[in-house]
Amino acid sequence: MTRRLPAQAGEVINRSTPLSFKWDGGNLSAFEGDTIASALLANDKRIVSRSMKYHRPRGYLTADFWDPNGFVQVGDDPNVRSGHRLVENGMTIDPQNVWPSLDYDMKAANGLVGRFLTAGFYYKTFIKPQAMWPVYEKVLARFAPGGTVDLDTPHGYHDKRYAHPDVVVAGGGPAGMAAAISAASLGARVMLVEHEHALGGHLRWGNAEDRRLLDELRGKVEGAGVEILTNSTVTGRYEDNWTAIVQRSHPIAVERLIKARAKVLVVAPGLIERPYVFTGNDKPGVMLSGAVRRLINMYAVKPGERAVVFTGNADGDAAIVDLERVGVTVARVVDARQGENIVVAKGGAKALDSVELSDGSVIEADLLVTAVGWTAPTSLLNMAGDRPVYHAGSARFYPSAEIHNVLATGGIAGDGDADQLLAHAEATGRLAANRAAAVAHRVQDLTARALPVQGPEPTWPEDDRQSLPRDSHPALFRSTTHGIVDYSEDVDSKDLVAAAKEGYDSVELLKRYTTATMGPSQGKLETVNTVAVLAEARGETIQEVGTTVWRPPYAPITLGALGGRVFEPVRVSSIQSWHEANGATPILAGAWVRPDHYGDPAAEVTNTRTNVGIIDVTPLGKLDLQGPDVPKLLNHLYTNKWSQLPVGSVRYGIMCAEDGVVLDDGVTGRLSDNRYLMTTTSSGAATIWEWAENWLQTEHPDWQVHVTPVTSGFTSINVAGPKSRALVSRLVDNVDLGPDAFDYMQVRSGTVAGVPNCFMWRIGFTGELSFELHVPSGHGLHVWTALLEMGNDLGVKPFGLEAQRIMRLEKGHFIVGQDTDGLTKAPSLGMNGLIKLDKDDFAGKPELAWAMEQSLPSLVAIQTTDPAEVPTEASQIVRAGTNEILGRITSSRMSPTLDRSICLGQVLPEAAPAGTELTIVMIDGRRITARVMEHQAHFDPEGQRLRG
Amino acid sequence: MLLVPCPNCGPRNSADLRYFGESHERPNPASASPHEWRSYLYLEDNPADWLKESWFCRSGCRRYFTLERHTGTNEFRSPPMPGNKVGGKA
Amino acid sequence: MVDVLRFESPVTTIYPTGETEDLTLGDLSEITKQIVRADSKTAAAEQLAVTFGSSRIDGDVIVLGQRPDEFLLVGTPTATASLVEGLDRSGHVSVIDHTHSRAMFRLTGSNASATLEKLCSVDWSEPMTPNGAVVSASLAKVGCDIARLDRGPDRSYLIACDRSFAQYLFDAIIDAGNEFDIAVVALAPTLV
Repeated sequence: MTRRLPAQAGEVINRSTPLSFKWDGGNLSAFEGDTIASALLANDKRIVSRSMKYHRPRGYLTADFWDPNGFVQVGDDPNVRSGHRLVENGMTIDPQNVWPSLDYDMKAANGLVGRFLTAGFYYKTFIKPQAMWPVYEKVLARFAPGGTVDLDTPHGYHDKRYAHPDVVVAGGGPAGMAAAISAASLGARVMLVEHEHALGGHLRWGNAEDRRLLDELRGKVEGAGVEILTNSTVTGRYEDNWTAIVQRSHPIAVERLIKARAKVLVVAPGLIERPYVFTGNDKPGVMLSGAVRRLINMYAVKPGERAVVFTGNADGDAAIVDLERVGVTVARVVDARQGENIVVAKGGAKALDSVELSDGSVIEADLLVTAVGWTAPTSLLNMAGDRPVYHAGSARFYPSAEIHNVLATGGIAGDGDADQLLAHAEATGRLAANRAAAVAHRVQDLTARALPVQGPEPTWPEDDRQSLPRDSHPALFRSTTHGIVDYSEDVDSKDLVAAAKEGYDSVELLKRYTTATMGPSQGKLETVNTVAVLAEARGETIQEVGTTVWRPPYAPITLGALGGRVFEPVRVSSIQSWHEANGATPILAGAWVRPDHYGDPAAEVTNTRTNVGIIDVTPLGKLDLQGPDVPKLLNHLYTNKWSQLPVGSVRYGIMCAEDGVVLDDGVTGRLSDNRYLMTTTSSGAATIWEWAENWLQTEHPDWQVHVTPVTSGFTSINVAGPKSRALVSRLVDNVDLGPDAFDYMQVRSGTVAGVPNCFMWRIGFTGELSFELHVPSGHGLHVWTALLEMGNDLGVKPFGLEAQRIMRLEKGHFIVGQDTDGLTKAPSLGMNGLIKLDKDDFAGKPELAWAMEQSLPSLVAIQTTDPAEVPTEASQIVRAGTNEILGRITSSRMSPTLDRSICLGQVLPEAAPAGTELTIVMIDGRRITARVMEHQAHFDPEGQRLRG
Repeated sequence: MLLVPCPNCGPRNSADLRYFGESHERPNPASASPHEWRSYLYLEDNPADWLKESWFCRSGCRRYFTLERHTGTNEFRSPPMPGNKVGGKA
Repeated sequence: MVDVLRFESPVTTIYPTGETEDLTLGDLSEITKQIVRADSKTAAAEQLAVTFGSSRIDGDVIVLGQRPDEFLLVGTPTATASLVEGLDRSGHVSVIDHTHSRAMFRLTGSNASATLEKLCSVDWSEPMTPNGAVVSASLAKVGCDIARLDRGPDRSYLIACDRSFAQYLFDAIIDAGNEFDIAVVALAPTLV
């Protein structure tokens, strides 16, 4: 540890806990509390990466979260910010973007030809010939920055939570702490979010007085009942102060995304030190004053031996004091306030050896410290609609707008001494708390379940804060030479000037063309210099040029954090455990997990057609309808008539939307005078519930109908096949199941396998004699297993969704959404008898009336000439010898019953008559012939079997 | 995420509701011309101004209601929302 | 054919969880649940005497105002039945047994609201959801009716969801509560 200093008063390292880690294959040591950056520099490792485009050796510039040069690979974690990530014992850390090694980088050859790699180089060079792009892409990918992603890396636990604080304070420096303390003292619930590992901001690397203030504020804020989140970032502010906070310090989660609805957001991020543009400004050994002070005071690391300090402000002056105190020779102070300037940082590729000044002198140095001013990170204000304004006297941007629930304080709002800044922050905290209380009052008042609000609504607290002064600061952006503006994207000021000359002279265009400000620093270091260089090139002021708009995120965010815990609800029936235990292959239908089949769907079809099969149809949507006006509702939702449905009967109907397009279909049964049970398709259950409520609440509030979903309340089992009556009668003893007593399309209630309050109706999608049992779900599994036990000698077997789909296709029954699409109007289905235009009104009636007079595509049964050919669903039907589309196949299967291919398809009217010869384009391009059938049902068109 | 003032549940995240866009009167189905009917189905005024819109409080009270929102500022009126739009200043 | 029908809970798989009982989750799906649909102007609504968003304990039954015109009655079968039988049915009033339609869980403990905050965007603070408050909201993307019904000094929530989502939601609550060492406990299907 050649560069570790003796104990410093404000150091954050714990010397009693030494750590060891691997860097680039070698073993190094560190202390608990070290960042990777401070540990590497303590070990005299001054080169940490190679730059993105030119592969120049790079050292630490800011040595904090925003350092553009400090990206490393930690184990399987790429792109780790080494200025921020703390060293852990045994960590394996490697440089990235180097090949074959950090010291000898093949790709640095790019640097030799750097003058050719101007802005837009890649765009211009590799765009033609386009056929070569795949080759270029592979080569360029090896030059791209970034670490390696190991696809076998286990998923970390990424957490998510919601929060409803009164005040979120973004930034835990002195201003943020003071604002949090004063807001909390007024009773506000406050979240204080600090990007770094500890509260304090710049006080952490300050002098004794700074440390005293830090201790005082930290003591107060920790005792104030404030929720303190360190190593956490407010990454975005959205509508109505919906703020996204990424917490990297959670005890069990890798990261946690907090979605906080802040009543007031206080923005106190402090200021970010800005680099200076001059030739050689990216040589290892060039550092910002903040970096030097952090390294010395927080990590006890000596950043160099002999320094030149270029200073334009008090922070640069303070760096001189710190450097001298720890024995660094300050060879020359270059004071910008006196008109002095630096021109070139000289030396080999890997280290600085001297600095050339504007007066022509060359000073030997291994460290060049610059302190040229600040960027105000107004990102969160921008996201709330603010557009910052440049103030020339202090050479930085300030917030401009008054946003009543987003308040800025601290360095972003102005300068002044510590007392002035703290007073402003405290006033901001009070204003935030009072405004939050006014918001809370109204929210509580608007919410029925909340406690009743006390007293009248508070008057809106006016902003009576005293503005902070703005200290004068020399405008220091670029020297007389050119240098790097965007370190992470390797963009030089020459590139910006050239791009402006090419016509990309609006700041937003310049940004996209050169990629300046688009790297992982998110513009925090580069934006103002980019604007200044462009202003100079355009001969305008910085205010005239304006800035790019800062958008979320404030700091880059991992996909893991955004993903959080993934909520993907799944629904299962009461029989699911049996399906799983009995070899069902599951299929996801909407959110429902259903058995697709139990091994052999064709055998399931044959058994059902020969003996008896049972299928779990619980997902079928079921709505309980009660009230005297149910027939009015049914008449309105369905296209057919419902006024005369007798108790004990079931009727089929089609529902259309107001545009006449088929919305859903199903049967509804009348259980008693005022009670009906409606079934919908599985996928349509939620839609139809809302659809019915919509009519009842908005157009017909006078109708007395209660619609209540009971889909999951009943486990639904369809018992189908010639022996279904024999089976069901073994479990039901209080209902006469005889064909005369319980006819097709009727409903009965009774007890099944000892379970009371069951409904059963005689309908069936399969075309077989069938009984659909609706059993209270707490006994669904019991009834299912009873059916299997009692029907063993009848050959009962379960069948899955696939067998049901085959059987319904054999019967020519369409499925809404499969055989219909978003344009299919009801007359296309060949059931015009179900569209009753003589009803006063029903959903979609006018469109259906017009549609009945048009010639629309028809849904028809189709059979291929070659019975072995099964066209893929969605295969096109064309006019023979042409590509003119006449229709498409909507459903197709091999029928085990008919031992041939069967289809349903939608065709234009000219191709709809029975016997029409069709040409189908197969997925492999072959064309096959097929024929339109006389009946929509391929099997048992007379429906003999289901009436059995 | 927009906060929507449900008249029953109070302010809710917009993801808790279903948004139906501009509120339209349903024309008389017995007399509507194709033009009138299709205006009701498809045409929106889309003003940068106050607009009456329909919402359904799907996760909460399951009630349909209309609200007036200013499309430029996302401000709601009656009830006015305490967001970044109205506050006590309006 | 069977003398006593056993109620099959939709929660069939319970993964091992923490052993402390600072935060507990129990399955109450078997408890009797009756829905009463009645407009606030009806006599039945007046008898039930709770407003939307609030609840009331009536002996062995809890009456929850879960929609502007909908009440959920939860309790023992006999107490619930007698409350339903005593309702004035004049006007437009419907009753639907939801015992088999809805699953019900109870989440109890000092970290119960912190657990819900990981699943739900509702504000669980005291002024916004005081004891007795009833909230309908999405929990882990499942629509739920949630009532805050503290047990002594402990925060406690009754959570009702569609039966088909029960296992998924039960697992999601356990996953969220793992950081607080959540424990699964057996509960009798009553409210005491």
